Amino acid sequence: MNFLRQALAIAGKDLRSEVRSKETVNASLSFALVILMLFSFAFDPSSDQVREIAGGLLWLVYAFAGTLILNRSFARELVNDCLDALISSPASGAQLFLGKCLANYVLLMVVECASFPIFIIFYNARWPSRWALVFLVMLLGTWGITVIGTLFSAMTVNLRLRELMLPTLVYPMLIPALMGAIQLSTILISNEPLGADNQIWFKLLVCFDVIFTILSLALVEIVLVG
Amino acid sequence: MDSNYTFMFYGFTAAWLVVILYVISIALRERKLRAELDRVKRMVEDHEHEAKR
Amino acid sequence: MRLKIILALSVIAGVIFSWNLHTMFLKVPDELNQGAIFRIIYFHVPPAIASFTGFFLAMFLGIAYLVKNDLRFDSIAASITEVSFVFTTITLITGSIWGRVIWGIWWTWDPRLTSFFICWLLYVGYLMLRRAIDDPTTRARMCAVLSIFACVNVVIVWKSIEWFRTQHPGPVLSIRSGGGMAPGMEAPIWWNLLAFLLLSTALIMIRMRQEAMQREIDSMRRFTF
Repeated sequence: MNFLRQALAIAGKDLRSEVRSKETVNASLSFALVILMLFSFAFDPSSDQVREIAGGLLWLVYAFAGTLILNRSFARELVNDCLDALISSPASGAQLFLGKCLANYVLLMVVECASFPIFIIFYNARWPSRWALVFLVMLLGTWGITVIGTLFSAMTVNLRLRELMLPTLVYPMLIPALMGAIQLSTILISNEPLGADNQIWFKLLVCFDVIFTILSLALVEIVLVG
Repeated sequence: MDSNYTFMFYGFTAAWLVVILYVISIALRERKLRAELDRVKRMVEDHEHEAKR
Repeated sequence: MRLKIILALSVIAGVIFSWNLHTMFLKVPDELNQGAIFRIIYFHVPPAIASFTGFFLAMFLGIAYLVKNDLRFDSIAASITEVSFVFTTITLITGSIWGRVIWGIWWTWDPRLTSFFICWLLYVGYLMLRRAIDDPTTRARMCAVLSIFACVNVVIVWKSIEWFRTQHPGPVLSIRSGGGMAPGMEAPIWWNLLAFLLLSTALIMIRMRQEAMQREIDSMRRFTF
């Protein structure tokens, strides 16, 4: 319980700071809208094409916008040596990591939930009948992005090429999760039947989340402290 | 079938070319490291001479 | 002594490669459906196996570094990863050429090829991370952690044949269930694998010596400042 309480305290701190400044969410949401707009220029899709590319388009938007949030995650602590203070606090590396993860997760989910209706409007897509499953896929996929992104944000925070290294490291790691999320989202948004074949994508997403959450919690202390 | 042999040789050539390019890059790095090592050794000797003085 | 070992390994590897070329062209017949191009398998599968082996070994060495805090483990891990990366590149290029002839396309986004390319990208990230960090202990720590994460992804690559339907041929080697390659055709794969492993050992030993030189340079620089 104490573990969670510490992590929630750190998550609360980050979220409170974000609510006051709104810097990251605003930038991330604007970026998401710009990408949606740019893709509409690139593809000019008909409604059939939208059904085919819906999942891919959405998750590309989420992944790119998410990187902005994840980059700021540990970078915001560099000012005034706040990161050193956090590391030397009684909270363990795992608690600090989990707290940051939870905060990033909430922020990214906010951006995703805000951009999903805008995607529906921009691309004249229909609201999916199985919206609950779409939301479940968003929950699972976003956790995968958040866990990997937060860990690599911790890894690259002190590098001079931080903004370059984070996407280089994170995107290849995320591809299995993005694959699963994209496939499922495309099927669900285009109201196609979710056959037994496609349930492997759910398994992939869940396995990805579980494995990398455990791995990250185990190794983050080494990344942060040594 | 002729084009099969051509592409087969392309494949073999590509494999060996990558290995050769890597060996060349290792050799160049070795040369650079040796030059750097000699330079730093000279710096250390100069540093020691000055310290003795 | 070290130089003699490196030379010996390289010569033995060279001899095995040459003998294999003789076997490949004079003993092994053309494959029924693919013709001559199938011989690319001898320079496609062995580097793939060698590179996977290397990545896993590098992961265990990374873990060894995290436990023992000895920078030599990091040097060996980095050397192995670099050489394995080169072999991954060879696998992708030869596979692409093979695919061009058999499937008519240079590339397809099927799960195995995609996962292998992801592997390649991950280790590009690893090599970039090594260059981006100046402090040796921080570099060793971060690269060890990245290696562990990357290897989990390598497992996904390995398993992708069984998990997804794929355009890539299914298991053909006899050690995997359902393999259907004739023993005479399969033997040069294992001999080439041995040759690639010997070659990689020689290259790794050269790289390790270079890492040791770099450590010497770093420590002498600290002495002068």
